[in-house]
Amino acid sequence: MAENLVSKVLVLDDSLEHAHAIKEFCDNNNLIALKVRKNRLMFVLQSNIDLGAILYSENYGGSIKENTEIALKIHAFRPELPIIVRRDKEVTLDSLPDIIRPAFCAAYIADDMSTLRKVIDEYIFSLVYPNALVRGISEITEAVLSSQFKQLTIAWDTPYIVRDRVVFGEVLSLIPMESNWCRGYMMLQTEEEPILEVLGLYNEQDHDTNFRAVNSLLGEITNQIWGAFKNRYIGDTSPSSNAQIQVPLVVSHKHKYISFGTENPHLCFLYKLVDGSTGRTVTLYQRFIFNLNWSPENFKELGHAAEGFVDSGELEFFK
Amino acid sequence: MAQILVVDDSSTVRDAVAEFLRKNNLDVVVAVDGKDGLSKLKNDSGIKLIVSDVNMPNMDGLTMVEKIRGELGNTSVNVIMLTTESSPSLKERGKAAGIKGWIVKPFKGDVVLESIKKLLV
Repeated sequence: MAENLVSKVLVLDDSLEHAHAIKEFCDNNNLIALKVRKNRLMFVLQSNIDLGAILYSENYGGSIKENTEIALKIHAFRPELPIIVRRDKEVTLDSLPDIIRPAFCAAYIADDMSTLRKVIDEYIFSLVYPNALVRGISEITEAVLSSQFKQLTIAWDTPYIVRDRVVFGEVLSLIPMESNWCRGYMMLQTEEEPILEVLGLYNEQDHDTNFRAVNSLLGEITNQIWGAFKNRYIGDTSPSSNAQIQVPLVVSHKHKYISFGTENPHLCFLYKLVDGSTGRTVTLYQRFIFNLNWSPENFKELGHAAEGFVDSGELEFFK
Repeated sequence: MAQILVVDDSSTVRDAVAEFLRKNNLDVVVAVDGKDGLSKLKNDSGIKLIVSDVNMPNMDGLTMVEKIRGELGNTSVNVIMLTTESSPSLKERGKAAGIKGWIVKPFKGDVVLESIKKLLV
């Protein structure tokens, strides 16, 4: 696993006795623990698009009935999020009532966090991402964004792993990624209005005319990131021999949900582009979904410095 | 005046490159893909230089150049590729088709303006 990857987990566990152990576990295992008040739970689930899992307690909610209702509601609303339940005595789901058992993916007890560690590895940090790749993606993307938004300051969060499938914003781009070590997609998601404002094209009375400018810009950013990615990590190598194999992508416009036909977690980067003079911010989510092939053992960074490499933007003359 | 044909499916790039060249007193025609570029070149004898993307729908930039040299028999128009690609095999294909140069995006006009002007002479 890349050393600098994290994942956000929602902690629905009121136990004061175990709070310290859970927090310590999260701190030691690259998890960012988020707490939420019960009455805001569904709102948070609706608005938070980048969770990795939910740490639940079999006592959460106060009563067995309420505990069951909450777990089932979360599972029905966000089935892609693994719910890991802390039990008082047992590390299995076996003795739970039939009605609630399918909502959980696994159980753990606070006295033995090694079980939780295994579950986290299985459900969140299941794919190995080379450090050079994770670092390189940030560098490539920052360079492309800087070239497109010269007047903005670009900042990014620590890359993280998500299992959420909820789409952010109003516009997204997808580009297939094909190589002999990865097959899948890169997806960029953003909001329309902040980009129009930055481009000086926002019109309060007319929300429809200029959206194509955002589409075109997002498409070009996607194109340039993929191009730089190819130049740095793929080169002239052919895609894998099973390049014909595809699975359908399914998008629910109503629920702002996208499925790539796999349970694999996504590698996610969040960039903030800030206009220092106005304070306006463009938020850009970048996700990598290697749903068709992931063979990091074949990953390598190409040594472009060797021969005839010309910096981007400069003209390489041919004789 | 000698014209430059800018071929790119991205309106963001097309507009930015065309605007930059026009600001520098160059005459610009634009096309949205290789097929459109081929058509524009057929109908406009004033085009002396083409700045083209590689990856485009309908017809890619390298196929367009090969058709310019082959089907149109035009060996005089200069071509520069402006692309995210830097694969040696694609460059070799471009060289074989007689392109003059290769720019990896993003386009930094001020860096290449003088070279572009030289190719128009």
